[in-house]
Amino acid sequence: MRRSLLHLPIKRSAWAIRTSNVARIAATRSFASEASPNPEIYDIVVVGGGPVGLTLAASLGAARATSHLKVALIEGMNLASIRDWKPTPDYFANRIVSLIPSTVKLLKETGVWKHIKQERVQSYDGMQVWDGMTDARVEFDWNKLLGGRQEGVDTTIAHMVENIHLSHGLLQRLEELAVKPTMIDKTKVEKIEYGQLTEEVDMRDWPIVTLSNGQKLGAKLLIGADGGSSPVRTFAGIESRGWDYNRHSMVATFKIEDDSAFPKFAYQRFLPSGPVAILPLPGNFANLAWSTTPEKVAHLKSLAPEDFVAMVNAAFRLSYTDIDYLHNLKSGVVEETKWRESVTKYPDPPTIPMRITEVLEGTRASFPLKMKHADRYIGERIALVGDAAHTIHPMAGQGLNAGVGDVYSLVKSIADGISHGQDIGSSFTLEPYQSERYLPNNALLGFVDKLHTLYGFESGPLVPLRSLGVEIINQDWFGLKKFLMSQAAKS
Amino acid sequence: MATPTSTSLAHTCTRCLRSRTPQLSRQLYLPAISNNRTFSVLHRPPPNYPGHVPLKLPERLFLAAGSAIISLIDPRRGDLIALLGETTAQPYFIYRLRDRMLKHPTGRRILRDRPRITSQSLSLPYLRSLPANTIGATYVSWLDREGVSPDTRSEVRYIDDAECAYVMQRYRECHDFYHAITGLPIVREGEIALKVFEYANTGLPMTGLSAFSTLTVKKDERDRLLSVYFPWAIRNGWKAESLLNVYWEEVLEKDVQEMRDQLGIEVPPDLRKTRAEIRKKRREDKGGKVNTVAATTTNEVVEEAMVETEAEREEREQREIERQAMEILERADRM
Repeated sequence: MRRSLLHLPIKRSAWAIRTSNVARIAATRSFASEASPNPEIYDIVVVGGGPVGLTLAASLGAARATSHLKVALIEGMNLASIRDWKPTPDYFANRIVSLIPSTVKLLKETGVWKHIKQERVQSYDGMQVWDGMTDARVEFDWNKLLGGRQEGVDTTIAHMVENIHLSHGLLQRLEELAVKPTMIDKTKVEKIEYGQLTEEVDMRDWPIVTLSNGQKLGAKLLIGADGGSSPVRTFAGIESRGWDYNRHSMVATFKIEDDSAFPKFAYQRFLPSGPVAILPLPGNFANLAWSTTPEKVAHLKSLAPEDFVAMVNAAFRLSYTDIDYLHNLKSGVVEETKWRESVTKYPDPPTIPMRITEVLEGTRASFPLKMKHADRYIGERIALVGDAAHTIHPMAGQGLNAGVGDVYSLVKSIADGISHGQDIGSSFTLEPYQSERYLPNNALLGFVDKLHTLYGFESGPLVPLRSLGVEIINQDWFGLKKFLMSQAAKS
Repeated sequence: MATPTSTSLAHTCTRCLRSRTPQLSRQLYLPAISNNRTFSVLHRPPPNYPGHVPLKLPERLFLAAGSAIISLIDPRRGDLIALLGETTAQPYFIYRLRDRMLKHPTGRRILRDRPRITSQSLSLPYLRSLPANTIGATYVSWLDREGVSPDTRSEVRYIDDAECAYVMQRYRECHDFYHAITGLPIVREGEIALKVFEYANTGLPMTGLSAFSTLTVKKDERDRLLSVYFPWAIRNGWKAESLLNVYWEEVLEKDVQEMRDQLGIEVPPDLRKTRAEIRKKRREDKGGKVNTVAATTTNEVVEEAMVETEAEREEREQREIERQAMEILERADRM
């Protein structure tokens, strides 16, 4: 059973106060002696100021049991640009995240959601997912499943928010915390090592973080929210296993034809080279996430804007044979797709996405896709969250949601540790986090990875079998569809 | 009951995504329930292209089986062979063939232009004026020799997708070019050999089923097919480039041997010549026999000896032909 973070018992043990004193002493000492600068001691040092790292800092500050902790957050990029982010209604960033209801619930509890501008958030009730080879389709639509819209039932599948928007909201929330975390941005982690035994304090099992500006931070608990190639994970000697998909994800923001007549849906078509998805944004905007081979991504990026738009429209309408062929064309895609669409049968919106009219300039970007899972999430005075612990294929839009789930679980473990008077850095305190998160994350990673493999087949016996499976799910036999949808909403 | 708020989706058949336009019911002011009536013999959906006849699966199976049986009995029924081709090409094979064309730049261009081969689109007098070694001249001399015309090909009706129907049409119209480029005549033996070649090249089931008519030809022809022409057809059809991806209209002036080399096709032993020689020999033998019989009125011993020598000779000739054919194939293999 999950307890709300805000209702955790507030019990400051004598031990916690004592260690805080230690930290204060150490901090003053470091100021005094100039010859060998002692590290400044923090209860928690978070490496990485991405959405997961910021959510962690905000959650620690919001939960009563942990709000007194001395927290530092280190980020290599300039956070000022995120803090000063000024949205314009006719532009949406290309990097967006889908927040499932359980993630939004946590963000509400930690007081972040009120800083998110609702007019720039697009929620959707339905998903259309289909097979690029056989057109076998599964339709996830709560309203249809429940027989019409119902009062008091939240039928939202997910909310689409721009990454920068979420980070902006998180920073605003951090501003209003009573005990603000120390934000150190534009600074890289130079080195992580264990401390030394001095006359005052034994820091031999404390990680000491040396920053690019020469600053040294001693952490009672060092948390790595530092992404796939996590320096914290490397320091902890935790192996991360997985593989490179040899696929890149192409993102872009589009203007689409007026879709006000239809409900907002998310669309995903599984092509053998990888899934292509169109995600809804407010107004006549939409976002693309197209996973395909690096060569094809390079081709998509090199196309003229109108050819690129034609290519994306074709990706939801034409056969894979045609799409594959179009990837060989350097120009004239508009012409070619016009002809192919005139002789190809495809359904109308809202079964497929609305036609894209233009791509916003400078929003075409890509990143490589990996599947990676750390052997452990914790070590002595070490914890890993988000991508540092697990990197997932983005087809299900679960990367950040899993990261926020980690944050929730880790903060709960730390709070429990504090309330029981334990050292927050000990693996004994962190153990519940690891045991709560490892298996669900592993299952999610495995599921998405198998989907990737299953849909990678262009022909062969698995193609009809997967289509049969999809048809069974779509018919909601054995309540399979309801089960899947409710799992996806709370994973 | 009529539903006043029927959306555009309600007019679309969910199985085939075909628009269900209620023409008859509109005219007769029948209740809208007929809109939702499924595809039946009495309620055939509108054609996807002019001349298209949508078929239900039992209809399709019946036509396929019927045409297969009758065309096996009477192989001169070209219409039934065409029908067999159309009814068995769906659901998988014709789409695969279409995709093969779509993957090839020339095949794609053909699908875009959708050219038809008729005596209007091809100027036969011009083809006759071309040098003898060109594809056009080979094609037209082949037409003249066989006494056929490009217009003898019937329209495709039972393929559901308009583009796939064109692929079938194209295959059918180019069939004469395959005869020309392989040099196989339109006698049964040549047709069967060419069909097997096409099967290896296109994968259309009808062409493969045609191999069964080997059972109905004479024994010596069957032996020749099995030992010489089938191995040639399978090997060449398999490794040659897809013949549907050749824009025949554009290569009419090309050297036929150059084209064969480009496609990777070896010329099979000239079937017409072989058959003519065998016939000639047989006629000569028969003539000799008649003479002998006329000379020695009732000499059974001599006649028996003659019969024996005739059978022996035929066998020897057969072996000789096979040996020659194998030599050609071996030489081609070494190349």
